[in-house]
Amino acid sequence: MNRTEFFLGVTAMLPLLLGVIPFGLVFGVLGVASGLTETQTIFMSSIIFAGASQVVFAQLWAAGSAYLIIGSSVALINLRHVLYSVAVSEHLKKLSFKWRVILAYLLTDEAFAVSIQRFNTHGGSRPVHFFMLGAGSALWIAWQISTVVGVIAGSTIPENWELAFAIPLTFIAVIVPLLKNFPTIICALTSSLIAICGQSLPWNSWILVAAFGGILLGAVIEKWNCRR
Amino acid sequence: MIWFIMILTGVINFAFRISMFSGFRKIYVPASLHRYVAFVPASVLSAIIASSLATFDGQEITYEFEKLAAASVAFACALLTKSVAATLIVGLVTIWIL
Repeated sequence: MNRTEFFLGVTAMLPLLLGVIPFGLVFGVLGVASGLTETQTIFMSSIIFAGASQVVFAQLWAAGSAYLIIGSSVALINLRHVLYSVAVSEHLKKLSFKWRVILAYLLTDEAFAVSIQRFNTHGGSRPVHFFMLGAGSALWIAWQISTVVGVIAGSTIPENWELAFAIPLTFIAVIVPLLKNFPTIICALTSSLIAICGQSLPWNSWILVAAFGGILLGAVIEKWNCRR
Repeated sequence: MIWFIMILTGVINFAFRISMFSGFRKIYVPASLHRYVAFVPASVLSAIIASSLATFDGQEITYEFEKLAAASVAFACALLTKSVAATLIVGLVTIWIL
């Protein structure tokens, strides 16, 4: 155990927890409000362990969506982890299988963001997998605790507090920093428009139709921009 | 049934995470996939945001003014602060006031 690297990882994660903890609380509150049991809500945070997709899971479940729509929506949201996996693979290929399993489980947006920086600067000279273990564990613990607190607090929060509205608000905070180029803005607008107009589509499939529509148009515009 | 779906999606998510360094085999990711995946968060999340603000059934648009206003204030707050906590609080306070 390399404590220096581990605690450097924990420290690097701390500022990001300011965003993670409110999100975990919101998920805890809304999981129960969506009709999941307390146990299901709490366990989802360790079984799926991916913020936005857990919220979508709970929302689609509450709306009585088809299982296939729930599964594919969650999978689509989490597809980005494949890209993180590609990026970290170069630095983790010498590790044992046990290490790979643990680090893969802890691979989230935040853990990726702080670890890849460390990998790129100190990958050759330091045991940086301990850094990722530290960063990932700090996030994991914060996510589990904030979910549990959310679940407990949820039962005491009155309904007229409009807490369900916390989901779109949280997502607004997540996407605003992403909207920094034209194709992404078009992608977001397209997907919003389809989502607004597609509410009557069967099995709540609007979410997938909107997502694919936005992705496709965004990618096409980006390609077109590159060619010019 | 919900446990089954939850565990299945958990397994799929884990498979995505370990996909490129499982050590079993080398998987090739086409460069074009990167282009598409980069748009996934913006696309999925805006769909969810939009659907909570307004719906259109072919004839009329249904929306709540309070939510649209709170979302706009939250959007401005996110632009300025880039903080999830601040955006959440400002947005909720706005909807409580209205």
